[in-house]
Amino acid sequence: MAMRIPLQIATAIIVLGGISGMVLPEYHLRLLNLSLISAVAVIGLNFAFGYAGLISLGHAAFVGMGGYGLAILTTTCGWSPWLAAPVAIAATAISAGLIGYPLLRLRGHYLALATLGLNVSFYIVTSNWIAMTGGTNGIARIPGLALGSFSFSGEHQFLWLALMVLALIAAAAAALHKSRLGREMIAVRDDEIASEMTGIDTTRIKIEAFVLSAICAAVAGCLFALHMRFVAPEDFTYAHSITYLAMLIVGGEGTIVGAVLGAVLLTFLPEWLRFLGTAYLFFFGLLVLGILVFLPTGLVGLGQRLSRRSAKTPLLASARAPEATS
Amino acid sequence: MADFVQLIINGLAIGSVYALAAIGFVIVYSATGVVNFAAGQFVMFGTFAGVATLVNAQLPWPFAYGAALLIMALFGALFFVSVYLPLRRGSIVTIIIGTVAVSITMQNAALLSFGSWPFRLPSPVEDSAVSLGGAIISLHALAVVAVTAVMVAGLWLLFNRTSVGVGMRAVAQDVQAARLMGLKVNRLLAFSWILAAVLAGVAGLMLGPMWFADVNMGDPIALKAFAATIIGGFGSLPGAIVGGLFVGLSEVLGASYVSSAYKDLISFGIMIAFLLVRPQGVFGEKIQDRG
Repeated sequence: MAMRIPLQIATAIIVLGGISGMVLPEYHLRLLNLSLISAVAVIGLNFAFGYAGLISLGHAAFVGMGGYGLAILTTTCGWSPWLAAPVAIAATAISAGLIGYPLLRLRGHYLALATLGLNVSFYIVTSNWIAMTGGTNGIARIPGLALGSFSFSGEHQFLWLALMVLALIAAAAAALHKSRLGREMIAVRDDEIASEMTGIDTTRIKIEAFVLSAICAAVAGCLFALHMRFVAPEDFTYAHSITYLAMLIVGGEGTIVGAVLGAVLLTFLPEWLRFLGTAYLFFFGLLVLGILVFLPTGLVGLGQRLSRRSAKTPLLASARAPEATS
Repeated sequence: MADFVQLIINGLAIGSVYALAAIGFVIVYSATGVVNFAAGQFVMFGTFAGVATLVNAQLPWPFAYGAALLIMALFGALFFVSVYLPLRRGSIVTIIIGTVAVSITMQNAALLSFGSWPFRLPSPVEDSAVSLGGAIISLHALAVVAVTAVMVAGLWLLFNRTSVGVGMRAVAQDVQAARLMGLKVNRLLAFSWILAAVLAGVAGLMLGPMWFADVNMGDPIALKAFAATIIGGFGSLPGAIVGGLFVGLSEVLGASYVSSAYKDLISFGIMIAFLLVRPQGVFGEKIQDRG
């Protein structure tokens, strides 16, 4: 019972992603891969923001730490990606802990601007520390991932890797939502003083949520580096952090399904608006504003409202189920 | 020494622009609680309003500046109606994302109307310079500092000597109480947005001759205005001025004495340090949320 929802989510991701992979043309497949990578990052952001209520505008910096970690270890040090990825992820997690410890005393827009400053600093350092990061030229020739003779370098092959990782992360996130730690995070978000009264160490919970979110971000960063085979400071700016947050809000904050839907929608939306020519970003902004105004609970909230309306009897259980479980 | 004086004046000039942008940001934040991520694009619009009236329409500069500020005032009113009113019940994050979405739209509106090629916005005191103890100081930089000083004095009078300004302060403190006192709260909120847009317009008109008028200029200005606001103290007008001047000076002095590549790291490093050690900034907002 406890594992049913995580397994359902993981299966749905693999099946839907696999079917899309068979029908989509090569270019859309590339976008799909990018959206899955973003989805991994957004699920991470969901720990920090959706569950623990920490507004982070520096998420892309952690994606960047993962990506740069893998890039530096595989190119400069010549490690295998299989070894470099876990080391890069662990290093990002440790940095997140060290950064989070002093920073997470801040709340609301103070935390938002502090993490924004962090992301801007990350950009300045990566584009100027040429010996380590190659500056604005970035790091090229990152080796692809291979398992024996099977290489994950084509869009089709990479799709399976991305789907597997996303399914795993989504299932773990769903399982965590049900766990004591997940409930503690949500308690801290809803009322910090009350949760402290019940004996929750709120500082520890916030740092754990922040580190978990950074781990997912680093996984996404490693996937990004392995997919593009190239990293540059432009890929991890604070604008990307805001995009991740927008994906989460548009999809439906606090839900894993919402995180994935939002990542896919906002990756493909500019593509669907191509017919507008050069004006597509103009309408993209308006459309996102419209979603925020008219669908304040995101796509997941819209789905719930529709299903509630179609089921005449107010099936509270079914209407609430996605909110509580996904 | 001459170099140093020159750097100080340039730092104060660019800092004045940041200060005006930060003041607009703070006025909106105090009155409405909105953290406006489109604040930098407001300044960009100000610069391009100047391009439209001064360069494209070739108006004489007093009329061009007046027309540009009128455009900005109308834009502030439009923003109030079409962005603030629909979003005002949203959470902090919804408002952040919403204003970011609008800033993408604003940036691309400018791109569609003016193209990606940067413009040069002339200054009424173009190319004149004064010599001060061996230092060559552009008259424009001095004019920027002077205009900012006049604007700040005007704002002080507005907030302390006029009923509109006192009403705005009342709304900033407690909307409910202000409404019970019979203040036209919505009108005052709309006025806050218009005032912020006009201040951003002044900042944009003064910034144009110092930088190039480029549709991508909004984001760096917004980041500097945020840093200025945090350093000076969130929600404080004197704080925004001190913070803006400080960020401008640290940028110019840092670029020439420390490292031009890392000049921006200085202001953001100091901003983060302030958040950690003294989150209320120099002048301080006496509210929760700083942990």
